[in-house]
Amino acid sequence: MKFAAAVTLACAMAVGGLSAQDLGVLAPANLTKPRPKPPIDITGTWFIDLGFPGSWRFGPPYPKLTPDAQKHFDASRKAQAEGKVYRDDIGQCWPAGVPLIMTRVWSISMVQLPTVVYMISGFMNSLRVINIDGRPHTDPDLVVRTFNGDSVGRFEGDALVIDTVGFVDHHHWIDSGIPASDALHIVERARLVDGGKKMQIEYTMTDPKSWEGEWKVTKQWNRVDARDMEIAEVECLPDLNSHIPSTQSKENVR
Amino acid sequence: MRFERFEMFKVFVRFLGFVVLAIGISAPALAHHSAAGIDRSKTVTLIGTVKQFGWQNPHSWMEVEVPNESGVVTTWKVEMTSPAFLIRAGWKSTTVKPGDKVTVKVFPLRDGDPGGLFQSVTLADGSTLTERAAAPRPTP
Repeated sequence: MKFAAAVTLACAMAVGGLSAQDLGVLAPANLTKPRPKPPIDITGTWFIDLGFPGSWRFGPPYPKLTPDAQKHFDASRKAQAEGKVYRDDIGQCWPAGVPLIMTRVWSISMVQLPTVVYMISGFMNSLRVINIDGRPHTDPDLVVRTFNGDSVGRFEGDALVIDTVGFVDHHHWIDSGIPASDALHIVERARLVDGGKKMQIEYTMTDPKSWEGEWKVTKQWNRVDARDMEIAEVECLPDLNSHIPSTQSKENVR
Repeated sequence: MRFERFEMFKVFVRFLGFVVLAIGISAPALAHHSAAGIDRSKTVTLIGTVKQFGWQNPHSWMEVEVPNESGVVTTWKVEMTSPAFLIRAGWKSTTVKPGDKVTVKVFPLRDGDPGGLFQSVTLADGSTLTERAAAPRPTP
């Protein structure tokens, strides 16, 4: 079987003229390349466990913020105390971005293939692509910075370890008032627990432009199998927002 | 008899699980963007006519034309949760239509504009709908 896959790979490369490192994650020659059996398969629909400590938020506690980040955080707390919203960029259709997209109160569909994991949030259909075919991160000079970042994954023991960099440096927040910068680096260790009914992800986040040291937090998701928990097409639209009063409030702090 | 008790226990566990899920999901379902501009300490009752109803993701919405005592009509914008949650609460896309006479309860905006977060609607036939699931659904 491994021999057949190797032959397939060799033939595909010979016919297509692609070297192994140029193969896309859905190229048959890449999908069928011999690999160790992954210890877990996170394919399924998942919903943030709101009963788990911290619910959907990543703090408190929060790490020691840099002076610039602290200004935003203080302004956010002041707005909150006054019943206002601080920089509600998500309400204005900016992407939530990683890590916050993972804990929106919407289902996330995850599809694990031998070479890639796709995560599609029901919220704005936000897409995460986690390459697990052994490639490194995209060259920093070539990467297109995004809200969900450039992710590569590998298996360690019973965990899928996801390493993400390459984030944008604007309109990207963690909880309210903590800016994520282009220096953000996130390592997620995803494990299945309770016989695969739950998934826990341990986050280790660093961003020297916004906080000191490592920010560690663990979140949990429940597997949801009901048909009405599936994701659907969801978009943030300007004409829809005009009907949503809380996104239009004059009290919001832009 | 023992089997029946076991089946009843299973039904109870399913119901409990659903309640936990329903509470867990419905409470923050509107919180994908902040709703801090909503005053949840007040309820405003709107008696009027449906102008538009949007059956849309991520939020459904309703516009209600509300006349005051002088007959001047104000259009209120009402923010609702997603169709998936409304379906669990017994809604259909045709539950309300333009022209329907309704009584809608909302948490109003803090800034005084005519808008708010949906609590319930009472239709012309006297039935009342909220955003919360009315009864447990069987586990598939």
